[in-house]
Amino acid sequence: MADSELQEPNIIAENVQVRYTVNTNDPGSRATGIRRLTNKIVGRQGQTTVRALRGVNFVAREGEMVGIVGANGSGKSTFLRNVSGVEQPDRGRILVRYQPLLLGVSAALQPALSGSENVRLGCLAMGLSPEEATEAFDYVVELSALGSAIHRPMGTYSSGMGARLRFAIALAARPKILLIDEALSTGDATFAERSERAMDELLAEAGTVLLVNHAAKVIQELCTRAVWMHRGEILMNGPAEAVAEKYRWWAWNVAKGKEDIADKLLADVVSNAVKEEINILEPELIKNPIPRHAARPSKKKAAPARHVKRQDTVDEVEETPTPMLAAAEEQVWPKSFDAEMPKAKFPSLPKPASQAVSAPRITDSPPLRLNPSKKRVVLRAANPSDRASSVAAADDFTGRRLASRARQIADERYEERQRLRQEDDSPVVHQDSNR
Amino acid sequence: MSETKNPLGLTSIPSVSSEGLVPVGRRTSLRSYLAALWGRRHFIVAESRAKMSSSTRKNLLGYGWLFLNPLLSVLAFWFIFGFILQTSRGIQNFLGFLVIGVFFFGYTNRCMSGGTGAIRAGASMIKGFQFPRAALPISIVVRNFLDFIPTLLVMVIVLAVVPPLEVVTWRVFLIVPIVILQTLFNVGLACSLARLGHKIPDLTNFVAIAGRFWLYGSGVFFSIEGRLSGHPALLEAMQYNPMHAYLTLARDCLLYGADSDPKMWIVGTVWAFGLLLVGFLYFWRGEENYGRL
Repeated sequence: MADSELQEPNIIAENVQVRYTVNTNDPGSRATGIRRLTNKIVGRQGQTTVRALRGVNFVAREGEMVGIVGANGSGKSTFLRNVSGVEQPDRGRILVRYQPLLLGVSAALQPALSGSENVRLGCLAMGLSPEEATEAFDYVVELSALGSAIHRPMGTYSSGMGARLRFAIALAARPKILLIDEALSTGDATFAERSERAMDELLAEAGTVLLVNHAAKVIQELCTRAVWMHRGEILMNGPAEAVAEKYRWWAWNVAKGKEDIADKLLADVVSNAVKEEINILEPELIKNPIPRHAARPSKKKAAPARHVKRQDTVDEVEETPTPMLAAAEEQVWPKSFDAEMPKAKFPSLPKPASQAVSAPRITDSPPLRLNPSKKRVVLRAANPSDRASSVAAADDFTGRRLASRARQIADERYEERQRLRQEDDSPVVHQDSNR
Repeated sequence: MSETKNPLGLTSIPSVSSEGLVPVGRRTSLRSYLAALWGRRHFIVAESRAKMSSSTRKNLLGYGWLFLNPLLSVLAFWFIFGFILQTSRGIQNFLGFLVIGVFFFGYTNRCMSGGTGAIRAGASMIKGFQFPRAALPISIVVRNFLDFIPTLLVMVIVLAVVPPLEVVTWRVFLIVPIVILQTLFNVGLACSLARLGHKIPDLTNFVAIAGRFWLYGSGVFFSIEGRLSGHPALLEAMQYNPMHAYLTLARDCLLYGADSDPKMWIVGTVWAFGLLLVGFLYFWRGEENYGRL
């Protein structure tokens, strides 16, 4: 995984646990005594606690598109809801670089209004200003490929058309982290092409996409990495091809009723599963977070590595190439293992504008924003070849967009994916490479 | 992210830097929360208008009902109280008294019941995307306010035209600050009830009954001063009822063209700003919980 670890993480989930208390009419979990009497009076039958997520550790980096597969009820959607910040986990925590956008704009749309009115409403709901919503209108119409149907009431759309419109509105908000929960399966071929292109552009801008889909084929084609969730835990985490293949084989056996083979497969995967743990290195910036309770210590937090514990500022470290790290290595570990050691990467690259990220505005609109009048969004280094900064200076929305550099990167990615589809044996990122 | 064994047999855990990353979905500081809320103001208004127009578009007369509805209500009151019962209960211009009471109280009452169910009604939006949740109760108040504006216009016109004529003075314009005060009060009420109603879903039933008590306690159908003169302590307590203050102020300036008791102004202002502050802070403190339903 050496290749992908060079990228900065966009999402870190640490020991995320979620449980729900729900009503049940399972006779086994019926309450007794007084409890049972009160339940009878109010017409309830008993309650049970469901563990939806049992300690999920997960990191997604810039430019990654991670597929999540798993049976129904394995916690995929719950995980996405927690990543998007809609729910708070009971234990653990989730850190993000940008406000993730769940593809859930449908909640804000009104079926009685026309598609174009809904585009405006949806864009405002995503946090755009009225001017930005007007600018984004053409983009949405183009991406959704609805044609003249955009002027008809949304209630008259087919399910595929509605899904296209919702996806286009969500992308008009220019999210950096997009969470898609089985939304793209309804579109036709044209739309599939356009949406892939749009997501490639997002990834090229150092974004991250999490995609939940049951079709293992979609995951294999689109994603760089895949995660298999089972009963609220991550069973497998690795290159999309391998994970999706195993999952597909397992699901096929379950579907065919070959329980014994499926169980054997599952047991095999479980025995190979490595309970992932993450050591989150805390820079000083995070120690002084904006919401004053944000640093609420999670109970099972891993202690920060020794050599970074006392690091004060980012700049200091960059100038002196970590003398403490070298000392520690010589004390404990032989030199021959230097290459194998996980590199303490933390103070690698100071991000000049990272203060802006940790400034007290999590719920603010997603960072990359096409508003030429006020360039408030250059969160990353102002590198001229960086799409984020180059777009922020653009004047018009669609014209520049088409000519943009991200388009090229997207093309490259697309070609590469086509190439990868032909030759199977070129793993992009392989988690087990050093095992 | 596999484990690497080092010579001592210790497992080393992959490290990631959390630099530049922030916890997601946490409650932000009050200042940035207000800023985010202000950034969503266009959405609040657009959503309220969309809800309003999608509910009126089904009717043949569309927006016409926003004016017809209050007009027909006034007609009904006139028919029952003025024509059939011919009662005045010792109140000068009883029809005007009643109409102002019913409409102004109805505004707050709808905000109250709407605010109680605001989180539940907006559950799909809360699960759908991230926004300051206070937008939900506030948009309830905005929607009711947009409904109330045509009602207010109809009311003023009817009072000016229909026979027991009101005394028109400059004080008619005082209706603007009164409506503003009442709207602020409604925002505070909707916010605090939204969090309570999310915690205790059963509150919806209770609020309906409490609203009825409040209706009678605010002197919508009768003058409290006239009825409660035998219980001076109760009357004194009733003076601090915010709705009673707003109704009295509205009647004084619209109907009787008289200066109001300054105490009424003080009561109305203190309630408006006090409940706005308390209710909003109370709602904001529960920000992280609204995703769980």
